[in-house]
Amino acid sequence: MIAQLVGLLASEDPNVTHHWLFPETAEIIYGGLSSVVVIGGLIKLAGPMAKKAMNGRTAKIQKQLDDAANALTTSSTEAVGIRAALGDIAGERARMLAEADTQAAALLADGRARIATEVAELEAKAALDLNAARGRSSDELRAEIAMLASIATPIVVQATLNDQTKNELIESFISSVGAGR
Amino acid sequence: MSTVKIEAYATALFEIAQADGTLALVEDELFRVARAFESNEQLRNTLSDATIPADRRQQVAEQLLGAKASNTTTQLVSLVVGSGQVRDLPAIVDSLVKRASSEKQQEVAEVRSAVALSDDQKTRLTAALTKVTGKPVNLKVVIDPSVLGGLVAVVGDEVIDDTVRTRLDQLKTRI
Repeated sequence: MIAQLVGLLASEDPNVTHHWLFPETAEIIYGGLSSVVVIGGLIKLAGPMAKKAMNGRTAKIQKQLDDAANALTTSSTEAVGIRAALGDIAGERARMLAEADTQAAALLADGRARIATEVAELEAKAALDLNAARGRSSDELRAEIAMLASIATPIVVQATLNDQTKNELIESFISSVGAGR
Repeated sequence: MSTVKIEAYATALFEIAQADGTLALVEDELFRVARAFESNEQLRNTLSDATIPADRRQQVAEQLLGAKASNTTTQLVSLVVGSGQVRDLPAIVDSLVKRASSEKQQEVAEVRSAVALSDDQKTRLTAALTKVTGKPVNLKVVIDPSVLGGLVAVVGDEVIDDTVRTRLDQLKTRI
């Protein structure tokens, strides 16, 4: 066989092919066999390693997928929590705004009531002050009149008291005492 | 001065005037001098000023009374001034007048008037006061311009006031 093969090789021009596309039959056979051997060797030797590597990769990818799924779950949970918190914040905000509105309304009402009371008190006080001032002015006027009268009266009386009047007053005294008063 | 001293001076003056036989006149003049002394601060200060010699003060008193009072009255006032008891002159005279009135069974009636009273008015006033008090009165008239008009009579504890001054005061109070 070897001799045949050598003979075959010797009869073949290595620079000329039988077909422009297909290789020589022997090449196909040997190449095919070689390929089968190589592939078989590869399958035999590298297969488990590749399988192991693929399994490891699969596990890694699965782990990553699981992590991603977990992260998604966590994120979803957090999102739910955040949404809930957002809802709570909105509710709190609404509650606070409502409370602030209530307080503001109460303050306003209280302020209005207080101002109304103060205005009423001020009006009452002003009325009292006015009356007191009127009374005072009246009293002061009376006192002034009394003072002026007390000053003026003796002067006027003295000016009108002539000797005749004084004499008449003496006579009047004597008469009234004599009559037993 | 104590009451005893005042009484002693009053008794001395009374007895001198009585011995002189001019008690009624002297009593009346002394009464007027006492009232003038009470109302005149300058006279009071001058006659009681210890820095002025007593004889000088007596001279002043005699000069003041010389033409207006009897000799006995002048001498009696001079006596009180010379003794340094002139501040008590009104009290001494009041005691003397009271004593003189008692001797006559009379009550002293001090009457204040803005103007002098005529003898007729004095007589009628004495009669009126005697009637109203039920006792004979020894009328003593004091000229007091501050009463303005009318009369005020003080007999013992009783006061009969019908003066213009009092009426004005009442009016002032009412105002």
